[in-house]
Amino acid sequence: MKPAPFEYAAPKTIAEALDILGQNDLDEVKLMAGGQSLMPLLNMRLARPSLVLDLNHVEGLDGIREESSGLRVGAMTTKRVLEDSDLVRSQYPLLWESTVAIGHAPIRNRGTVGGSMVQADPASEYPAAALAFDMEFVVMSSAGERVIQAEDFFVTYLTTSIEPGEILTEIRIPRLPPGTGWGFQELARRHGDFAIVGALATVRVESGLCCDPRIVLFGAADRAIRVPAGEACLEGAPPSEASLTVMGDAVFDAVEDPLSDVHASAEYRRDLARVLSKRAMSEAMSRAS
Amino acid sequence: MAVRIPNTLNELPASQPRFVGRGIRRVEDASLLTGRTPFIDDVVLPQMLHCAILKSPFAHARISSIDTKEAEALPGVVAVLTGEDVLRWSYPAQSAPEGWGSHCMATDVTRFVGEPVAAVAATSRYVAEDAIELIFVDYEPLEAVADPFEAMNSDSPLVMEDQGSNVMMDRVFNWGEVDQVFSDAEHVVREKFRWHRMGANPTETFGCIAEWSPLDLSITLRGSIQSPSMFALGRASTFGLPPNKVNVISHPHGGSFGGKGGSRGSDITCMLSRKADGRPVKWIEDRIEYLTSGGSQAWDRHYEAAIAVDADGIVQGLDVQLVDDIGATGDMYGAICAAKPLAAFTGPYTIQAARYDLKLVATNKLPSGPYRGMGPPPHFFVLEQLMDRAARLRGEDPSEFRRKNFIRSDQFPYTIPSGNEYDSGNYGEVLDRVLELSDYTEMRANQVKAREEGRLVGVGVASAIEPGVFDWNAYAIVGMQGTGVPEGATVGIDVMGGVTVRVGFALEGQGQYTLVSQLVSDFFGVVPEAVQVVQLDTQSAPPSFGPGGSRLGVSITGAVLGACEKIKEKMIRVVASLMQCEPEQVRLLDGKFGVEGVPGAEMTVPEVAGTMLARSDLLPPDVDPAPVATHVWTAAGRTEPDEEGRAKSYLTAAHAVHVVQVEVDRATGMVEIQRYCLADDCGTRLNPATVEGQTDGSVAQGIGAALLEEYAYDEDAQPLTTSFMDYLLPTVFEVPEIEKVAVVTPSPFTPLGAKGCGEGAIHTTPAAIMCAINDALLPLGVQTTEVPASPRRLWKLIQEAQS
Repeated sequence: MKPAPFEYAAPKTIAEALDILGQNDLDEVKLMAGGQSLMPLLNMRLARPSLVLDLNHVEGLDGIREESSGLRVGAMTTKRVLEDSDLVRSQYPLLWESTVAIGHAPIRNRGTVGGSMVQADPASEYPAAALAFDMEFVVMSSAGERVIQAEDFFVTYLTTSIEPGEILTEIRIPRLPPGTGWGFQELARRHGDFAIVGALATVRVESGLCCDPRIVLFGAADRAIRVPAGEACLEGAPPSEASLTVMGDAVFDAVEDPLSDVHASAEYRRDLARVLSKRAMSEAMSRAS
Repeated sequence: MAVRIPNTLNELPASQPRFVGRGIRRVEDASLLTGRTPFIDDVVLPQMLHCAILKSPFAHARISSIDTKEAEALPGVVAVLTGEDVLRWSYPAQSAPEGWGSHCMATDVTRFVGEPVAAVAATSRYVAEDAIELIFVDYEPLEAVADPFEAMNSDSPLVMEDQGSNVMMDRVFNWGEVDQVFSDAEHVVREKFRWHRMGANPTETFGCIAEWSPLDLSITLRGSIQSPSMFALGRASTFGLPPNKVNVISHPHGGSFGGKGGSRGSDITCMLSRKADGRPVKWIEDRIEYLTSGGSQAWDRHYEAAIAVDADGIVQGLDVQLVDDIGATGDMYGAICAAKPLAAFTGPYTIQAARYDLKLVATNKLPSGPYRGMGPPPHFFVLEQLMDRAARLRGEDPSEFRRKNFIRSDQFPYTIPSGNEYDSGNYGEVLDRVLELSDYTEMRANQVKAREEGRLVGVGVASAIEPGVFDWNAYAIVGMQGTGVPEGATVGIDVMGGVTVRVGFALEGQGQYTLVSQLVSDFFGVVPEAVQVVQLDTQSAPPSFGPGGSRLGVSITGAVLGACEKIKEKMIRVVASLMQCEPEQVRLLDGKFGVEGVPGAEMTVPEVAGTMLARSDLLPPDVDPAPVATHVWTAAGRTEPDEEGRAKSYLTAAHAVHVVQVEVDRATGMVEIQRYCLADDCGTRLNPATVEGQTDGSVAQGIGAALLEEYAYDEDAQPLTTSFMDYLLPTVFEVPEIEKVAVVTPSPFTPLGAKGCGEGAIHTTPAAIMCAINDALLPLGVQTTEVPASPRRLWKLIQEAQS
């Protein structure tokens, strides 16, 4: 388990990083953030880049800033920083729950927010959180900066809409509207494993009826997905067991072709999507006002 | 010289043992905790090369050609090994059953995914791994077989063509009037069970450094080797060398649990060293190699079993049919795991007749190996499920049903139908204590309430025997002959009174060096920190097997106390001469030799040793002046197997009852362990802290077995679980606090009355958890018969029940 030979570059600035990208065959370059996915792939020789561009020494890519509209999180901010942030824990509890569900402490010490987003594993928590919060992704290239909305960011297995030559620099995380209740559920074989299926839910309750319900699943498709059909069942419905059952059935129907592997058959995943989305939404309802 | 080894703590020459029987701090820990213990990967030798092994991607294929030219030309590559070299220089592995061994590398046909096909020795592991990518192999894929029932069909592809069949062994053992008790039975409970392939995962994989001496055709092999002397014999057999030409130096290792394996890697590095003119060659097995082609996999079993219960609810007969999928060859000792259940076939019960219909079948999976418990854990899983079903059939509480079937404490020593003898026990007491600890009555009351709320809460009560102090005769039915397994130690006291003990095994984590220190300290009145335990290589050590088969605690206690007794006898003669009295008047107590009836006439152990080594002028003429002795201990009273395989094999029978409460999530199939309680009796606890550690670890492995661990293969025998992402070990989050209570029934047959306890709870834990899950599922009218009870399996079962 030793990687094939590769060149290594550790730029200090984003400009320098973009320069190096410009001088190389982009198909042959891998950007390294926390390395929690890339290093095993290198060691197993499943990834064989000719150049590893290490972003860990680039200045200005980490840290959390709060603005009136929400958080700005540097792409190289480690998960541990979010986990340890009182601001995140008290004001963005759904983000905090999504964070502590990721792996184990040593993984969160190294793994970065941006790294997880760009890795786009369909079973990972952060892409789902991105859809729940309508996060925005700021990417830089030699042509300048552009912003990608969460719903346009995740394409399919391990694929985002970031183009070769672009570097993710920041994630903007809006505050959820006041009164929004939230729920987080995931089923993993063990604590810290990738989820078999997970669900995030948010909802407000106005005049005794559900308002702006949102359901996001991970581990249920080729990427994190929202389930509009399930959300539609709840919009304007009372926050009741009966509504949840209708919603759960709609989620079940909407999850058409989930993954099948040694841990879970497709039919099991599909049913878990129903069960966990109901549980998450039930939590969200109980927290909504 | 005949030596009497103390059978009880009172017989030690100490007015009150200060160390034996207490949970003292381990002498090994300072070095381990500060990272100073030299594991094999820390060892760097001059001129050392690094090995990488090219593995077969096919489960079954003919090798039409291998081209190594580009690899040989890569700078840094010193030697490349292929099947051609292996055929020239080595023999197939010694194996059980006979004829089912293979070479360390495929020579013409590959028989499982991960079988070595070529290997490289280079100046670094990086270069070696680059080089194996430059070896080009043409494979002609052959049809593979992954299912043992298909493998038994006459049209199945053959795993080893020369054998003409995939059935390694097909034999029925009948012990007692089996047909009679089944035809007389009031109830017969019969069921099929499946125990999926799982196994050992030590923290450290296997590693070795081999040196081939071109001068005298000898081998020096360093490695994380569990059984050094047996390993030396194995290498000698591979290379056709006399065993004394193979020196095995075992390094401290990060656990084993039977999984260290390593014979293929060792043989390959020996031959690479030979090709590299004797330069040392290191190979460190990586985790993927360990999981797919190491000593990782065991117990791939298909059972059909039945018990016969009479009108009084006494179980009279047990009938077990086992199809054991051994994998591609027999050369990893997997077969002996099917033989060991003979040592405790009928568990803790008075079952008088039993049948074992045993089929060992080859498939194109990794050859299976040993794992902690060595085979009985799945057997007890089966027996305990049947016990629960019988209890339910009769409307009896599972704990009371077991109690009335227990061997009574006045029936020991007790010979079971399969021939082994249990030394002692008090099974009713063990059951009482765990029922008390768990508040069993209240647990059941809470379960009733939970069921009323629609929750699937279950309680499991399971009981099993841990055979201790293994003997080769236990494995004779699959071809491992031999009666008696010696363990030796040399104790020496120096001129200043310091005690050094030389043993033949390496640190493995179980604290045996601490035990050695405890024994010597109480015997000679010193402190454990003053005792030096030294590990010898196989060319210097007394006969030794090392850890394995729940034996070393008992065996090394016998060896060390025997050597201490021999030194004591020598010293008594010296003291008698100096004190001008009869040897019969001299007594050793608390580190001093005194003369009976002469108060104040005393010599300390260091004084006697100093006299023996530095004052020869004072010694009587015929005394051996060395305060040094070696003793080799072996279990007494073991017998050869008879024509039905019956033998007195394992010396001790430890016993346990576990009570566990689980809740099954009916929507997801996930199992939560809510309480885990156990009582166990392993005789005298020489170091209770060590016993507790062994128990905790063994429960954890039992939880892994019951809920998580499974090596899955597809129908073409391709492994699907090749990393820790897919092969799931229990972590601290999956193992609850384990509540424990000890019962102590000393063995009448062993040093200090201790019983083997190293394998421990894994005998009982999977059975107990599966009993609890099935108890939880009872309201749904379904039962699971498959281990592990993974959530997808339970979910499916619950879905079927509800539809």
